[in-house]
Amino acid sequence: MIRFIIRRILLLIPILLCVSIFVFLILRMAKGDPAMAYLRLSNIPPTEQALMEARIDLGLDKPIIAQYADWMGRALRLDFGRSYVTGKPVLQEVLYYFPATLRLAGAGLLFTMLISIPLGVYAALRKDRAGDHLTRLFAFFGVSMPSFWFGFLLIYLFAVKLGWLPPMGQGGLAHMIMPVMTLSLMSIAINVRFLRANLLENIRSRSTLYARARGVSERRIVWVHVMRNSMIPVVTAIGMHLGEMLGGAVFVENIFSWPGVGRYAVQAVFNRDYPVLQCFILMMTIVFVVCNLMIDILYAFIDPRIRLAGEQR
Amino acid sequence: MKRLRFALLAAAAAALLFAAPLAAAEKDTLVFSWSSILGDMNPHMYLPNQPFGQAMIFEPLVRYGDDGTIQPCLAESWEISDDGKTYVFRLRKGVLFSDGEPWNANAAKKNFDAIMGNAKRHAWMGFTDQYESTSIMDEHTLKLTLKNAYYPALHDLSTIRPFRFLSPAAFPADGDTSKGIIKGVGTGPWIRVETKKGEYDLFARNDLYWGKKPAFKQVLVKTIPENESRVIALETGDIDLICGASGQGAAQISIEAFKRLEASGRFTTAVSGPSATRAVAINSGRGATADIAVRKAIQHAVDKDLLISAVFQNVEKRADFLFDPRFPYCDADLTPYMLDRALAEKILDDAGWKKSAESEYRSKNGEELVVELCFIGNDPLAKTVAEVLQSDLRKIGMKLALIGEENDSIWKRQKDGEFGMVFNDTWGAPFEPHAMIASMLLPSHADYQAQSGLPMKTELDDAIRSVLLTTDEETRRGMYRDILGTLHDQAVYLCLTYKTMLKVHSPKLDGVDFTPIVMVVPFERMHWKE
Repeated sequence: MIRFIIRRILLLIPILLCVSIFVFLILRMAKGDPAMAYLRLSNIPPTEQALMEARIDLGLDKPIIAQYADWMGRALRLDFGRSYVTGKPVLQEVLYYFPATLRLAGAGLLFTMLISIPLGVYAALRKDRAGDHLTRLFAFFGVSMPSFWFGFLLIYLFAVKLGWLPPMGQGGLAHMIMPVMTLSLMSIAINVRFLRANLLENIRSRSTLYARARGVSERRIVWVHVMRNSMIPVVTAIGMHLGEMLGGAVFVENIFSWPGVGRYAVQAVFNRDYPVLQCFILMMTIVFVVCNLMIDILYAFIDPRIRLAGEQR
Repeated sequence: MKRLRFALLAAAAAALLFAAPLAAAEKDTLVFSWSSILGDMNPHMYLPNQPFGQAMIFEPLVRYGDDGTIQPCLAESWEISDDGKTYVFRLRKGVLFSDGEPWNANAAKKNFDAIMGNAKRHAWMGFTDQYESTSIMDEHTLKLTLKNAYYPALHDLSTIRPFRFLSPAAFPADGDTSKGIIKGVGTGPWIRVETKKGEYDLFARNDLYWGKKPAFKQVLVKTIPENESRVIALETGDIDLICGASGQGAAQISIEAFKRLEASGRFTTAVSGPSATRAVAINSGRGATADIAVRKAIQHAVDKDLLISAVFQNVEKRADFLFDPRFPYCDADLTPYMLDRALAEKILDDAGWKKSAESEYRSKNGEELVVELCFIGNDPLAKTVAEVLQSDLRKIGMKLALIGEENDSIWKRQKDGEFGMVFNDTWGAPFEPHAMIASMLLPSHADYQAQSGLPMKTELDDAIRSVLLTTDEETRRGMYRDILGTLHDQAVYLCLTYKTMLKVHSPKLDGVDFTPIVMVVPFERMHWKE
């Protein structure tokens, strides 16, 4: 098990290196010019002289490999440069906004689990009955509805018409309800369908049949035997959902004026604030990869076949 | 029993959840919103500092008045030498910065030195080119010396940034404010007392303020990036006021949302007078538009009234000239280009751009009549306007190729002159006409490139340089008439609309006036109705 974990952690190094190269190159291959963006944001007229000075200041006059080496060298010392807009260290700003996003994504993930697991089980146990059809209709609606549109509908109903919930901003629990519902809708819908399918497959398996033959109670069969086997792919899905949450936060934070890093990144995209974008994408990759690593480790704990296969290799 | 316990628990949870009042603003706090963070409130710098916030805290030597004249502010009076190079400012006595530091010539000079130490950043402003020095004559007298007689000096000094004054105690140790300040402390009617980045900024009334004190005790500015969310916040009572430009960029409300709120009858709404001009620069130095006939045909082919009613829902006004004639020196007695597609077609025919049976577009010597219109791709308003222009020009046999690209690419095209037409709005008061005209001399500006093919370009540039240095009022007026007349006759700008500001607020709020300077929100004049 330890070897498995160590190997997975070591695998992070090449992944992050590849991502960093990819991020660096893709931003430079885009049509914009970082020196031009810097001058525009600094309110300096973009004369040839000013552009040349900016390129030297930003190190853009060097070959691309040297630029990458410079950036990576500083990034390893946690220096991601300064935002072209605010002039503040980028990492400091990203870390300032990050907890709000984590809070939203964490609550979204929790809400997804709390709603999708009982609903998935209910649909599977009521297969082809009205409850199942309704649940599937909800799942269909959930994956089809764009989250920003759903968010605005919620605001219109609960904030404008009924006045029950605050339309935006951070505050108490009431402020979290609509952003979390918006953020989780798609994940809940996917999870319900996923869990329902797994449960139905496991209910039909031979191990369930033998359990029934052994006289194990139906409740125990569903909640212990079938549920445990059906949850293994769901645990993997949690990793994916976390990605959805962090990605979805970009929209949700804008609609609900939630002061998170997603909203900060959107501003950086509009402003072409290259240092911020580089840091944001790399940070998100680290979070995503680390979460998936934890899921893999958890997976190995739940399913011995994974662990053993890993150790045999 | 179990059910009762559950019901009690549910009630307690609901009470906890909804305990916080949804609109907690107090009556003596005005709640506003803005689409981005307000920045460090450094009076000498630009982004991310937001002009309306800077204008709340910091004041200039002279103010651009509601009637467009220059009024005293931190300078009570001033004298200009006969040669126009020396300005002696008598500073207002008894003024304190909000930290208790006195406003005097020392503080003024310290600010001028810091601003001009970073002159590169302010090169867009003609004043920085002409600035020579400031010196202290006595505690309340400051002498400003210019290299040449630069008549718009006072207009430049009235802008929101960079010539506003920071408390000497808030300067960094090395005096270089471009790298940061200790705190944004000014002499203005408001003090920023709290900021939660990305959430809100709280301004409190400056009780040391020398002028009329604001009625509100506090102004809370919530950060709401989405315009639609801002409208909802107004409808739910989470904010009291929306005031700002419409459309994209620094816009605070869409025209559609404004019209919807206006129709609802729940709010007080108003549209300001003309502020700046929504114009398109036409390149006289490149492609088909190098031909003046093509440029003139464009002027006669665009149905501005239809554009205004269909796209701008009559919120913006028709623009026939580069600057609203009400701005100083801008009434040049010019004849507007009227919609006349038959005339446009005749102009093109006479210039050799002929229609043929093979194509719906005209051509000349085998070259099709194609003009590229460049715009920022993620600006839906620009895209819509571009499509309307495309449709209008097709009617006279001209193909308008739409090129939507990201901001930096458009900037690069402007700098290199790689456009046929490009959106190029003017700047509004206090920059019109002098600062906008002066910026035409910068090769990085679309104006310079658009004018680059004019046969009289050298003379035009000389005239622009001269007009800024004239000391005689009549001569200046004549020179402006010539400059604006040349630009108009050469048809290098397609002027579409005069932009406006919009406001929507609770009917209980009073004193929400538009100011001539775009981006200033005069909170100090606002109060609840009795």
